[in-house]
Amino acid sequence: MSARRWVPALWLVVMACGIWFATARLSIHNELGDLLPEGSTATQRLLLTQVRTGLSGRLILLALEGAEPDELAGLSKLLGESLRADGRLGFVGNGMQAWSKEEQALVIGSRYLLSRTVTADTFSESSLRSSLEQRLDDLRSPLGAMIKESVPADPTGEAFGIVQSWSGWDGPAKYRGVWMSSDRARALLVVETRAGGFDADAQESIHRAIRASFLDLANARGSLARLIMSGPGVFAVEIQRTIEAEAWWLSTAATAVVVLFLFFSYRSLKLVLLTMIPISSGIVAGMLAVDGCFGFVHGITLGFGITLLGVVDDYPIHLFSHMTRHDSPQAVARAIWPTMRLGVLTTAIGFASLLLAGYPALAQMGLLALVGLLTGAFVTRWILPLCVGPEFAPREIRPGFFTRGDLPARGRVLAPIMLVLAASALIWSDTPWWQQDVGSLSPLPESKKQLDQRLRQELGAPDLRDLLVIEGRTVDDLLEQAEAAMPQLEGLREDRMLAGYDIVSRYLPSRRVQQERQRTLPDRAVLERNLGAALKGLPFAPGLFAPFTADVEAARSQKLVDRESFAGTMLGMKLEALLFQQQDRWVTVVPLRGVADRQQLAATVARWRDGSVRYVDLKEESNRLMTAYRDRTLQLLGWGIAAIAVALAVGLRSIALAGRVLAPILCSLIVVTAVLRGLGEPLSLFHVATFLLVIGLGLDYALFLNRPEGTKAERIRTNFGLLVCSTTTILVFGVLAFSQIPALHAIGMTAACGSLCCLLFAGMMARREAHAA
Amino acid sequence: MRRTIGSTSMMCGIARISPFFLLGGLLLAGTVAAAENASSRGDDVTGAWTVEQVVASLKEERQTAVPFEEATYSSVLTEPLISRGLLRFTPPSRLEKEVLEPYRERYIVEGDLVTFESERKRVKKTISLEDYPGLRGFVEAFRVGLTGDAVQLKQMYETALDGNREKWTLQLRPRDQAGQSMVDSIQFSGSRGRIGTITIRAPDGDRSVMTLSRKPAP
Repeated sequence: MSARRWVPALWLVVMACGIWFATARLSIHNELGDLLPEGSTATQRLLLTQVRTGLSGRLILLALEGAEPDELAGLSKLLGESLRADGRLGFVGNGMQAWSKEEQALVIGSRYLLSRTVTADTFSESSLRSSLEQRLDDLRSPLGAMIKESVPADPTGEAFGIVQSWSGWDGPAKYRGVWMSSDRARALLVVETRAGGFDADAQESIHRAIRASFLDLANARGSLARLIMSGPGVFAVEIQRTIEAEAWWLSTAATAVVVLFLFFSYRSLKLVLLTMIPISSGIVAGMLAVDGCFGFVHGITLGFGITLLGVVDDYPIHLFSHMTRHDSPQAVARAIWPTMRLGVLTTAIGFASLLLAGYPALAQMGLLALVGLLTGAFVTRWILPLCVGPEFAPREIRPGFFTRGDLPARGRVLAPIMLVLAASALIWSDTPWWQQDVGSLSPLPESKKQLDQRLRQELGAPDLRDLLVIEGRTVDDLLEQAEAAMPQLEGLREDRMLAGYDIVSRYLPSRRVQQERQRTLPDRAVLERNLGAALKGLPFAPGLFAPFTADVEAARSQKLVDRESFAGTMLGMKLEALLFQQQDRWVTVVPLRGVADRQQLAATVARWRDGSVRYVDLKEESNRLMTAYRDRTLQLLGWGIAAIAVALAVGLRSIALAGRVLAPILCSLIVVTAVLRGLGEPLSLFHVATFLLVIGLGLDYALFLNRPEGTKAERIRTNFGLLVCSTTTILVFGVLAFSQIPALHAIGMTAACGSLCCLLFAGMMARREAHAA
Repeated sequence: MRRTIGSTSMMCGIARISPFFLLGGLLLAGTVAAAENASSRGDDVTGAWTVEQVVASLKEERQTAVPFEEATYSSVLTEPLISRGLLRFTPPSRLEKEVLEPYRERYIVEGDLVTFESERKRVKKTISLEDYPGLRGFVEAFRVGLTGDAVQLKQMYETALDGNREKWTLQLRPRDQAGQSMVDSIQFSGSRGRIGTITIRAPDGDRSVMTLSRKPAP
């Protein structure tokens, strides 16, 4: 049996197995958090922990609008009730939330440890007297009946004080008992999900449930009110779905365009189908490799990795373009293999640099592209020729455009002109060099970001940007530091440098403070004497305060309150978000609200307590993180180019020739950068990563153009092949450049321009003697 | 502690609203339209003294300010607590209870909002009435009063009227549970369009008796 039969059959079997495995076993993740790096500094790690699991990332802001205030208030109440029944939500706030039984028990049971107003003076005769008089006022007041029950055990009103200080900021204004914007156009709610903000799948099912509850209520009441949702989780889902939708239709459009173009070029459906063999093999192999290495494949890796693999499509095109009636496909494959091999090797070096970038998303992408590239090349060399079949007659390239053959070479003088133009664009453009603002990479429309800001302001929710960070060896060490920072924070608030803050010490005092409070509690005899004296002349029933004296006595030796005391409550969740372990240290974050002047705040905080409290601007920090990865990628790119140059010099056995191959690519990179700058696009990580693809493509073009070729016909075939290659690339990435998603747009724009420039420069700089022959 | 801490804290630290005051307001206040409506109805009825007529008469003889004295009886106290002050109504819908003795405190209701001011506690806070589910009934009663709707008053309260035009007692029992948890009954007694006393009984037997002065406030 000939290889011509069993090799394609074997390939089919292997592919079928690969596809089966990929569909059945592959775990494809969609959680953006999985793609985030570990972070190289403590602050970055903290930032990333916050982004992955932090409280602020888990908040969803809801607004009901489009109806009368009364109707909105009614809907908000009902929606709040139905959402509170959903186990996936930790906290639902609409102005009506109440403390749970566990929390009430904790507050009442531990009031003498938790209350910040407990001092030695609290139980003196004069303080008790004044407390008792206040309780009389309370009893006399309209709601005396409700207060009455707490009077015998808590005449000093500690439980009330605790709850009041825990209520944190005042929240938005209320109307009919629920939070409402000041113009009463919107009822406001806040929902905290248990799932992380970046867990797009979990978030989406929660969002769907919220929308469904709202629609049920609105329909049942015949209301025309609308529900608006915002917040990191909502955005994550929206971004993910936009990327998926765009990636789907863009790749469909690109595939259609490419298939049509290839059909037009070769006039053979069979060839078009055969072109798909190497790239599909590459994709399957790449996916399996990533799954094997990382344990999962991220949906976004898959999309971008396949885009990078577009370069593989050039290999079968070279093969088909060089085929003639006289040579067997195997012979052609053998003939072009040395050039192709060098192209594959050098492109592989480029992709490998992604692997080293230390950014999980890029590493996955690099591995997928690398394995896919090698597989695609292998398939083109050894499997594809056997699939073509001997009886296949390639289309003769008609003389005409291509007989002029060296059109690009004639434009040799253009190269310096283009470079000069590019240089001037690079020098005089007003566009900033680098995209510094991570936010601008987000595909969210500006209007949504503004809506989020507005809701956040109306709700008084933390704006996810400003944090203070305190670290400590133990929880208690940390709590003591936080306690020490509280007066300073309060000072900042009074100076209007910030509108508010939330700090763990507001809820959980350190052991030392609790023990101090215990020590200030008087023993029973002293308390009874003081109380007796304070009660003189007041009309309280005799013996009424026995529960008070008993509770104070018990509190003197009570078990201290710690993190575990809050387990299972809403406050417990809050504490987990504010106080957590990172490696061997404990960290607490203090979310700030309404920071007036960030620089001033940073300077002020830096002077506190020998810098143990750090101010972190999350936005600045994420920009810095992104910049760090971009710089690292850029550095790797430089090393990659150096490695490629060495490989070329060795492979071509000539430094001059290597220079000739590399020069057009470097020129293209300069021109592409200039074009982007000219268009007002600052460079981002995505542009830089796409440069790798441009290098891969350019190497291919330059190597083939510099290939020693005997006949004019062969030269024409090379040119034809390169033209087909570059046109497919330009078509695919040209389509991507139309994407609304900044990252896809950046990749499409860079690759399309780069492909064109590489072809032009490679043509202009190809060695003369080759076609002089 | 029967109620949730959340609402209790709001009561304690932030503001207190007065069912007494609200009902006082209801009976003190009224709209002209409602009064006309009720008085015309009152003319049609001869002999029998009805809830509708009480409401109508109250509106006819309403005053803008009435001095009061309130006595609070509680099981935790050995003697009643006394406070004195003024009830005020400013058309169309502003109601005010001002305590003058033994300390100064003011409660102002306007629509859904209650403003509480206390000299002794040095606070001034405005809150939404609906933060107090137990008071919901009173709020509605107050609104009903402003529109002079005796029908709606009867929907929210079981009403029982005793006596005659010269000496009558109107007893209200809240129909909804939130109201019942706060109040067992509210009893008004008076003569013609004037209220003499308002007695509010809590479910645990505590009570408050507010006596309204015959003389209008200076």
